[in-house]
Amino acid sequence: MTGASALLPALLALPLIGAILVMLLPKEEPGLARGVSLGVSIATLALSLVILGLYDTKIASMQMVFDKEWIPGLGARFKLGIDGISIFMVLLTTFLMPIILLSSYKAVTSKVREFCALLLILEVGMLGAFLALDLFLFYVFWEIMLIPMYLLIGIWGGQKRIYASIKFVIYTMAGSLLMLVAIFYLYAQYGSVTGEYTLELSLLNRLVLPRDVQMYCFAAFALAFAIKVPLFPLHTWLPDAHVQAPTAGSVVLAGVLLKFGIYGFLRFAMPLFPYGAAELAPYMAYLAAAGIVYGAFVAFAQSDVKKLVAYSSVSHLGFCMIGIFAMNTQGIEGSIYAMISHGLTTSGLFLAIGVVYERRHTREMSEYGGIWKQMPVFAGLFLICMLGSVGLPGLSGFVGEFLTIFGMFISGGTAGEPSFWAEFMPHPMLLGAVATSGVIFGAIYLLYMFQKMMFGPLDNPKNKELKDVSWREIAVFTPLVIGIFAMGLFPKPFLQTMDPTVDQFVTRFEAKLAEPDGPAHIMGQAAVAPTPEPAQVEPHAGHNHAPGEAAH
Amino acid sequence: MITIVPNDFLYLGPLAVLTIVGLLLILAEAFAIGKRRRFLMQLTVAGSVMAIFAAIYTWRSIEPGTQISAFSGMLIADRMSMFLCALFAGSTGLIAMLGAAHQREYDWQVGEFYGLMLLAAAGMCMIAMAGDLITIFIGIETMSLAVYVMTAARRRSRRGSEGAMKYFLMGAFASGFLVYGMALLYGATGSTNLQTIRSVLATSQSSSLTVAAIFMLIVAFGFKIAAIPFHMWAPDAYEGAPTPVTAFMAAAVKSAAIAGMIRIFVQALGGAIVPFGQVGWSSIFAIIAAITMTVGNIAALRQDNIKRMLAYSSVAHAGVLLVGLVAAGIAPEGEGLASVLFYLLAYSVATVGAFGVVVWIGNRDRERVLLSDWYGLAAAKPAAAMVMTLFMLSFAGIPPTGGFFAKFFLFKSALMAQDQALLWLVIVGVLNSMISIFYYLKVVMAMYFRDATGEFKPLNSGAVTFVLVLCGILVLQMGMMPTSWLGYLGV
Repeated sequence: MTGASALLPALLALPLIGAILVMLLPKEEPGLARGVSLGVSIATLALSLVILGLYDTKIASMQMVFDKEWIPGLGARFKLGIDGISIFMVLLTTFLMPIILLSSYKAVTSKVREFCALLLILEVGMLGAFLALDLFLFYVFWEIMLIPMYLLIGIWGGQKRIYASIKFVIYTMAGSLLMLVAIFYLYAQYGSVTGEYTLELSLLNRLVLPRDVQMYCFAAFALAFAIKVPLFPLHTWLPDAHVQAPTAGSVVLAGVLLKFGIYGFLRFAMPLFPYGAAELAPYMAYLAAAGIVYGAFVAFAQSDVKKLVAYSSVSHLGFCMIGIFAMNTQGIEGSIYAMISHGLTTSGLFLAIGVVYERRHTREMSEYGGIWKQMPVFAGLFLICMLGSVGLPGLSGFVGEFLTIFGMFISGGTAGEPSFWAEFMPHPMLLGAVATSGVIFGAIYLLYMFQKMMFGPLDNPKNKELKDVSWREIAVFTPLVIGIFAMGLFPKPFLQTMDPTVDQFVTRFEAKLAEPDGPAHIMGQAAVAPTPEPAQVEPHAGHNHAPGEAAH
Repeated sequence: MITIVPNDFLYLGPLAVLTIVGLLLILAEAFAIGKRRRFLMQLTVAGSVMAIFAAIYTWRSIEPGTQISAFSGMLIADRMSMFLCALFAGSTGLIAMLGAAHQREYDWQVGEFYGLMLLAAAGMCMIAMAGDLITIFIGIETMSLAVYVMTAARRRSRRGSEGAMKYFLMGAFASGFLVYGMALLYGATGSTNLQTIRSVLATSQSSSLTVAAIFMLIVAFGFKIAAIPFHMWAPDAYEGAPTPVTAFMAAAVKSAAIAGMIRIFVQALGGAIVPFGQVGWSSIFAIIAAITMTVGNIAALRQDNIKRMLAYSSVAHAGVLLVGLVAAGIAPEGEGLASVLFYLLAYSVATVGAFGVVVWIGNRDRERVLLSDWYGLAAAKPAAAMVMTLFMLSFAGIPPTGGFFAKFFLFKSALMAQDQALLWLVIVGVLNSMISIFYYLKVVMAMYFRDATGEFKPLNSGAVTFVLVLCGILVLQMGMMPTSWLGYLGV
C-alpha cells in the first residue's frame, strides 16, 4: 500500500497549492481566479474519488496510512489515514467545494481572488482535520479552519458581520482551548505510564485513565465538540454566523464545519475516554433531544428564512448526537448518514436562499409568496432539498433520522440480548419519542417555510420580474439533488462501507469501558491485585531502587 | 580573586564583537557628519551578523548540557547563553534596519542610536552569560542605561520624553531593589557567585534574609519584564518611544530580563530550595503570572493605539513566560527551560515583525498608530496585511505559526511539571489566550473588514521590507517545522 499512502497528503497538497496559485494570479482578473480555484476543487474531488475507489470496504481500521516523523521532540507525527467514518466526511467536503465555488460566481464580486484562496485553505484545514491521526496534527488543522471562516464571514458577510465573526471565533476557541489542556494531560499521563511521549491517536487510545479523570477530560473534549455541533444551549453563535455569512460561508459552515462536532466525538472524545462518555451520555442525549425540539420551535418562529434554516441545523444535528449516544451500530451509522444528508440538503437550502437573495436582497419570508409560478425550475429544486431535509422516505434525510431514532430505541438492547449500554442510558424510549416528535416539527416548519415562499398569490410586485435559475445555478443544484435521491434510494452501499468501522468502534468502546478503574494504565495491563502495589518507591529513595519495582 | 585563563576569551565571542562594534559606532558617529549615515546602519547589521556567527561558533564548541565557567565564574558559557546571544544579536540587527528607515522618515537622525543599541545588546549577552550577581547587575545596567537614552532619542517628541522619564525613574528605583536584593543575598550566603549561592542555600536553613532578598529580586525583575503590578511604565514608554526602540524594548530587553531570571531564580535559587518550603519563589511567580496574563490581556482589549495595545500584549506575554519559568523552577529536569527559550524566540520574531509593520505603514504626515488608521489595509496592501495577520496569529497562538507551537510547548511543559501541580495556571493561561484573540483579531478586523480612510503611503524601504518578509517566513517556519529549533535548544 505504499503507493496509495501518498494519496492522502496529495489530497491536502492539491488545494493548498491551488490557494497559493490563486493568490499569485493578477488582481484584475477575477474570472481567472474563479476558474483556477474551481478546477483545483474539481481535481481534489477527482482525487478523493480515486481514494474511494481504492478504499477496501471490508477493512475496519485505518487505510492508506501516511506516517512520517514531524516533531520528534514532542512525539507528534504527521500521520494521516482514512476509515469508514472519515471517508464520507472527506467526500462530503470535496463534493461540496466545487459547488460552493460555482455558486458564488454572482454573489461575490469583490476580492474574488482572496475569496477563492480562503475557501481552498479552508478545504485544506477541513480535510486535514478529518484525516489527522495525531492529536497535535488534528489540533493544528482544527484551528487552521478558524481563520479562513472568520475572514469569510467578516469580509463578505452582512450588516452585523463583525459581531458574528468574532462571536464565531470566541466560541470555537473557548471550547478548543480546554480541549488543549486535556490533550496535555493525556500526553503527560501516557508518558508517565509508558515512559515514552506521543500524541499519536492509536497509541493514546490504549491508555485507560482513572474514571473520575476520564469524566473531566471527556467534558473538556465534549465542550469543544459540542460547541461545534452545536449542542443546545451552546448553539447561539450559529444563527448569527449563518445569517451574516455569505451563502458560500453558510454552506461550508452547515455542510462541513458542523460535522466536526460529531466527528470529534466519534474519533477522539469517545474512544479516548469511554467511561467519561458513558457517565455523561445521558446529559448529552437529553441536551440533544432538547435541542431537537427547541431548534424546531425557534425555527418555526423565524421570519428570516436563513435564520430558520440555521435553527433547523440545531434540530437536525440533535439527531446525530442522539445517534452516537445510542452506542450501537444502527445509531452511529444513522448519525453518520444524517450528517451526510444534512450536508447535502441544508447546503441545498442555503444555496436556494442565496438564489432568491441575489435577486431580491431580502430574506424576509413575508416579502416572498407565489414564487413557484415565476420560477418553476427553482421551485422544483428547492422542493427536493426541502423534502430531503424534512426526511421524506425515498430521500436522504429519512434513512439517517430513522436509524438514529431506531438506534436510540434499542440502545438498552433488544429482548434477547441486553446491551452494556442499558446501564448508562436511562429512558431511551423517552429520548426516542422526543426525537420522533422532532421529525414532525421539522416537517411543520419546513413545509410552512416552503408554503409561505413558493405558494399563494404572487402579490408582491417586486417578485413579478424574478428570473428563473440560470444554467450555472442548475449546475450547482444538480449534484446535490442527485446525491439526495441516491442516498434516499440506495442506502446500502453507504451503510456497507461504514459497517466494519462502526462495528469495530462499538466493540472497542465496550472493551475499553470494561477496563477496571484505578490508576492510569495501558489497556489489558491493569494492576491485577486489588491491594495497592506492595513496593512503593519512597521519595527519598532516589534513583537506585530494586529492579523489580518499576513494573508499571 | 579573579584569575584569568587565556582559554576564557574563547567564549567571549559575541559579547566582544558587540562591544567592539558598538564602541566603533559611537566613534564613527563623530566622523560621519552629514549624508553618510547609511553606513552606520550597515555597520550595525554587520556587527550583529558577526555576533550571531560568533555565537553559533561558540555554541558548537560547547558540549550539550555542560556549563563552562569562565573568568573565575563571573561568566558561564553554555548552549543556552549562546542561543540567547544569537537571539539578541539577531533582533538588534533587524531592529537596526527598521531604525534607519524610521530615522530618515521622521528626521531624528541620532547616530548614537546604533552604538547604544549594540552596547545594550552586549549588556544582554552579559546577562545571558552571567555566573555572578555582579555580572548580572553590570549587564542589566549597561542594557538599561542605553535603552533609557534610546527611548528619549526623539528629542522634540514630548511623549517620548515623558515615557523616557517614567522609564528612567522607575528603572532606577528597580535597580535599587536589585542591588539591595543582591546585597541581602550576599549577606545570607556569603557569596555573589551563583553556583556557590546555590550550594550554600541547598544545605542551610532558609533565613529571613533570603526571603527578603528574594522579594527584592522579584520586584526588580518584575519591573524589567513589566509584570503586573510593576508594569506601570510600560504603556507610556512603549507609546512614547520611537517605534524601533519600542520593538527593541519589547523583544530584546524583555528577553534579556527573562535570561537574567533564568540565571538567578531557576539556576541559582532553584525552585525547590527557598523560601516557604518546597515551592519557593515559584509560588509567588505563579500568582504574579496569573495576574499578569489576565490583567495584561484585559487592559489590551481597550486600547485603540496599536503601540499601546502591543505594550499590554507584551505584559501578557511576560505572564506566559513566567509560567514557563515556574515550570522550569519546580521541574528542572523537564523541558520548562527549553520551552521558555523557544517562546522567547517566537515572541521576539513576531514582535520585531509587528512593530516592523507599524514602522512601515506610517509616514511623517500620518504616523498611523491608531487602530482606525489601519482600516482597509488589506484592500490597499494585501501582502502587508497578510504578514501582520501572521504576526497577530502568532501572538494569539493560532497555528500554523511559531507562537502557537511556542505556547503549546510551554503549557505542555508546565502541565507536566510535578504531577500536574500547575494545572490551574495552565487553565488560566489558555483561557487568557482566548481573551487575547479578541484584541489581536481587532487588528485583523481593522485591516480586512473596514474601508480605508485615505490613501496609504507606506515607507519605501528595502530594509524594512526585508525584515517583514524574513519575520513572516520565520513565523511560519517555526510553526510548521519547529524540530530544528528544538534541536538547538537540546530537546
